[in-house]
Amino acid sequence: MILSVRDLRVSFRTHDGPVRAIDGVSFDLGESEILGVVGESGSGKTVSLLAVMGLITDPNASIEGSIRYKGRELVGLPARELRRLRGNEIAMIFQDPMTALTPVYTIGWQIAEQIRAHRGLSKAKAMARVEELLAEVNFPNPHEAMSRYPHQLSGGMRQRAVIAMALSCDPTLLVADEPTTALDVTVQAGILDLVRKLRAKHKSAVVFITHDMGVVSELADRVMVMYAGRVVERGTRTELFSDPRHPYTRALLGSIPPLTGQKPRRLPAIPGSPPSLLLLPQGCAFGPRCPVRYEPCEADKPGLGNSAHAAACFRVAQA
Amino acid sequence: MSEPMTDKDRPILETRSLAKRFSIGTRFSAEGRRTVHAVDNVSLAVRRGETVGLVGESGCGKSTLARCLVRLYDITDGKLLFEGDDITSKSLSELRPLRRRLQMVFQDPSASLNPRRRVGDLVAEPLRIHGKLSSREIAVRVAELFELVGLLPDHVMRYPHEFSGGQRQRVGIARAIALNPDLVVLDEPVSALDVSVQAQIVNLLADLQEKLRLTYIFIAHDLSVVRQVSTRIAVMYLGSIVEEGPAEEVFATPAHPYSQALISAVPVVETTPSGTRKRIILTGDVPSPLKPPSGCRFHPRCPIAADRCRSERPELKEHRSGRKVACHFPTLT
Repeated sequence: MILSVRDLRVSFRTHDGPVRAIDGVSFDLGESEILGVVGESGSGKTVSLLAVMGLITDPNASIEGSIRYKGRELVGLPARELRRLRGNEIAMIFQDPMTALTPVYTIGWQIAEQIRAHRGLSKAKAMARVEELLAEVNFPNPHEAMSRYPHQLSGGMRQRAVIAMALSCDPTLLVADEPTTALDVTVQAGILDLVRKLRAKHKSAVVFITHDMGVVSELADRVMVMYAGRVVERGTRTELFSDPRHPYTRALLGSIPPLTGQKPRRLPAIPGSPPSLLLLPQGCAFGPRCPVRYEPCEADKPGLGNSAHAAACFRVAQA
Repeated sequence: MSEPMTDKDRPILETRSLAKRFSIGTRFSAEGRRTVHAVDNVSLAVRRGETVGLVGESGCGKSTLARCLVRLYDITDGKLLFEGDDITSKSLSELRPLRRRLQMVFQDPSASLNPRRRVGDLVAEPLRIHGKLSSREIAVRVAELFELVGLLPDHVMRYPHEFSGGQRQRVGIARAIALNPDLVVLDEPVSALDVSVQAQIVNLLADLQEKLRLTYIFIAHDLSVVRQVSTRIAVMYLGSIVEEGPAEEVFATPAHPYSQALISAVPVVETTPSGTRKRIILTGDVPSPLKPPSGCRFHPRCPIAADRCRSERPELKEHRSGRKVACHFPTLT
């Protein structure tokens, strides 16, 4: 097991009281496995992965639970130890590539810096490796691209440069947070293809965060659906898409307009909007928007259970 | 979506060889003064009651075209006609009465709503500027509009930040329809919203179209949303329309190689093992509109480009009733 997260809880102290951003998230990730994490804004998908990376440095945050990377506990690990892992064994890609690139150095320099910091290679060797990496992520002219500054590249190219950077040290774990959301579908298709190829070649395990059910269905081996800081459903890709169980998953899948076939006259929309984490209901967080809620949903939060394909819903448990 | 209504053959809005060019740089900059061909030779007719969806990659000129259509930009070349009346070079004061009938909804509702004003006030603003209503009548109309877009009457006293994204977009829509416009240009109206909220707004737009007999021009990068709301689709590439036709037909049997690649790139939820759908992956990026390629502008990325495509630019031709394609070798089924 590459990554094993147990009962992760993250909360923030705010002016308006404590906000529990993550409420008991558990998941496992095996070698060269792609886990898709789906959810809307505020569902906690990004925060849970920031916690895994040890990137929540806010003094008002409290992190509880256990995050084991190859059996080693990451919660409470000193910053120096974490830094040795990040960028080396654990790499990240974010939605906006400019958050990971500095505008004042060339692409080649930036990627080489990372290799030199973690691997201690000479400058020339690091640069040779950068050229290989850029070729691997399909830069048409890798040698020339090395001397380019980020502003001289298109959005898709920048994201590929960031992917090259993330892969520079052959990570065992790659965390991608909405890496294709800002890109056109044509560019996205290329990036998804790239992630698949890299998984096959480097055997990296990937956690892919997105709000796009289509992307998850194309890429992931297993899927985790999050809502208001909790996992509401998990299962393999096939289980989740051919037999969605949680009313939220079903509703979300139902509200996507089809690309082929008959157009529905109206889309089956989910009423309301995602809840504020400050004002979570006592029972199930999806309750107020749920078409099948009944009394138990108002009193308690449903648990996820232990089965491989599980949904946190009293109705499902009852059925 | 509602069916096109009577006198459907007479376009409400029409462009003839419309072009928009921007000059950038100065004669002192390294490359000198240059011209960006943002929109190039676009002829598009929008009929009353229909929804025309504009799709294409970022930078293809769809938003620029939209802004030209409501004369937020001055048009460099070609003609823009509203109900047959040439409005290409009308002055601002001449345009004023028309503005009431041509409205626009923007992507980011929090950027287009003044944070310091109450939303009731924001919705009343167009009524005050254009209408001759008393303040009582305005209050009644605002209440009516709030009900129409699914907001509660007591929401009028709130500020934009007190709303969720979906509700803010409802306010933006209420503002756009306040003056009973004929045509609304929607530039990425659902892109900033949560997935679970998008469908609500898509449905709201459909309801309003039916109730108020609106004509829409709908821009979005989410192709499945565009297909859902549009009666017709125009696919744009590098400033020009490369394919146009009824939405469902274009999606089912795209004729232009670019439309084929674009539609095949959309990730869809599949329950069967992946790889069953054929995908065309385009190589390279969209070329710069500063130096558009010779001949067909798509030829450097086109999987079926031939010599002719490098030298001769294909015209947008009607191949079958309602289906127009700008390609020397269209796939017609």
